[in-house]
Amino acid sequence: MADQQTYNYKVVRQFSIMTIVWGIVGMLVGVIIAAQLAWPVLNFDIPWLTFGRLRPLHTNAVVFAFGGSALFATSYYVVQRTCHVRLLSDKLAAFTFWGWQLVIVLAAITLPLGLTQSKEYAELIWPIDILITLVWVSYAIVFFGTIIKRRVPHIYVANWFYGAFILTIAILHLFNSAAVPTSWQHSYSAYSGVQDAMVQWWYGHNAVGFFLTAGFLGMMYYFVPKQANRPVYSYRLSVVHFWALIFTYIWAGPHHLHYTALPDWTQTLGMVMSLILLAPSWGGMINGIMTLSGAWEKLRTDPVLRLLIVSISFYGMSTFEGPMMSIKTVNALSHYTDWTIGHVHSGALGWVALVSMGSLYYLIPRLFNRELYSLKLVEVHFWTATIGIVLYIASMWVAGIMQGLMWRATNSDGTLTYSFVESVQAMHPYFIVRFLGGAFFLLGTLVMAWNIWKTIAGAKPATATIPAPAAAH
Amino acid sequence: MVLQHVWGLFTNPKSEWVAIRDDECTIGKCYAIHVMILAAIPAISGFIGTTQFGWQIGAGDPVKLTLQSAGLISILYYLAMLVGVYSLGWMIHWMGSTYDADVPLSQCVVLAAYTATPLFLIGLMELYPVLWINMVLGIPALAYTVYLLYTGVPIMMGISEDRGFLFSSAVLAVGLVAFVALLAATAILWGMGLEPQFTR
Repeated sequence: MADQQTYNYKVVRQFSIMTIVWGIVGMLVGVIIAAQLAWPVLNFDIPWLTFGRLRPLHTNAVVFAFGGSALFATSYYVVQRTCHVRLLSDKLAAFTFWGWQLVIVLAAITLPLGLTQSKEYAELIWPIDILITLVWVSYAIVFFGTIIKRRVPHIYVANWFYGAFILTIAILHLFNSAAVPTSWQHSYSAYSGVQDAMVQWWYGHNAVGFFLTAGFLGMMYYFVPKQANRPVYSYRLSVVHFWALIFTYIWAGPHHLHYTALPDWTQTLGMVMSLILLAPSWGGMINGIMTLSGAWEKLRTDPVLRLLIVSISFYGMSTFEGPMMSIKTVNALSHYTDWTIGHVHSGALGWVALVSMGSLYYLIPRLFNRELYSLKLVEVHFWTATIGIVLYIASMWVAGIMQGLMWRATNSDGTLTYSFVESVQAMHPYFIVRFLGGAFFLLGTLVMAWNIWKTIAGAKPATATIPAPAAAH
Repeated sequence: MVLQHVWGLFTNPKSEWVAIRDDECTIGKCYAIHVMILAAIPAISGFIGTTQFGWQIGAGDPVKLTLQSAGLISILYYLAMLVGVYSLGWMIHWMGSTYDADVPLSQCVVLAAYTATPLFLIGLMELYPVLWINMVLGIPALAYTVYLLYTGVPIMMGISEDRGFLFSSAVLAVGLVAFVALLAATAILWGMGLEPQFTR
């Protein structure tokens, strides 16, 4: 079959384009709800425009629609290129694309209507959960099937990260979303009380650890060396870091439940594992930074490399911040404050979004056989995004510390110094800065979308012949 | 001369960095003529601001700290700044070998000390804490500090601008991590009963 002589770029192209589309949608919703927190009047008293309904729409859109599409696109590209073989099945790959888009559209309809199973980052109701399962199993078949029929003996480390992400998300999704339906729109969780909370955060933290970290590390291990045109700094470190990360992350969930009904030893275990997690996380960061360091002479001229190095720096920063915040004494102050929101966004904007965008800047010209329209615009994107992230996390640091202090401040007679609403009022200026930070980041994404549009408008889709594998080494 | 480079860092930063480098200042002298004086600005302003004027949240009375609590915090704040500058200098020196920069520790500490100048000066606004004004003034000061870092690193460390860009970014990342560590340490201290005491 002639088809088998080329790579399947079609599905990669589709997911790449949708990454940008969903990125804009998800970030726009984020900017809207940030504005609502600063100026609540923007609810307009319309139920489906309220924060409670738009917030899950924002998280689902950026994590699963934007991040998910980026992971599909890059994993399909990387697994083909590094295995020297076409995807296992074009039809099944197409099903994962259309199925995933359907999931996203259904989420965008049900969440504003208030239909939810009330699990954070797993809000979607059970019929959609079943569709997700079908798509995910197909994804696993395509991905691992492609690895099985590879024409090189070695499985490149990026594929290990992608593979771990696909497997673990399947398990997490199945266990966490187990529920007893009462109607088409409603169900009860299969677990109750604190067990339900523990399953939820076992899922929730590993959504961060595997969806938002392992998958994107796979991206880092392919696209950073490619863009820098250098080998990975230490292949041994990448493998050690893989196993250490996989082993440790799965235990960290309980740190979301400090000082709750969860048994104390479980909380402490979660904290200790979170602290240990710093080591593998920084192993990955050092590997990425050192790979780029060898290409320092390109850094000033190549804005794509700069996006990547900033993303790895934010990865290092937020994986340091996370363990700090998991320490019980720190968590007693930081939990439920905006410090947490700032931490999430230094990871999500700084690491996940920037490494995806850097990878897309590498990928899209190759998928369409075109040079990138403008490097100058990448430069503009780099600066608006970086300024946006800094505004966002700096304002949330100050806001979080203030909230924590105000909530625990007591008078000499033991009464609370502040009412809750006073602490909300005190947040107003920081919420405005956070809104500005988000708006800057969105602006950067729009600049990117324009740049990509100008790059691919009128271009013919590229076809790439599969090169013969290099001789065995 | 005391504070001799401050003005130049704002009017003509690049040539001022060259002048600072050629001074070959020792750590002790750098602290005596620059760090110890400038770090006193935020510490003393903060003490006066939080005890005399306080800050207002919403429509309530201004919140102030007790003299004792504010005094303790100001002293710790001052010491933290002195230690912070030295630590950052030490980190710069430690990372220097990765970027082929071979300069003595004193020069790295001087780099850290002068980079922080805008942040020290803006500490004056803590005299009268109005949260949003502090923020509006603080952001440009922070931005200028970052600018000083990127211009200062290649000159003080004697490396090319290409390499300096990466080095400066690494210093910035270390600074961010150190800041987060400071946040966590503060939260732990507060959790152990060393919270600020309010007068209200």
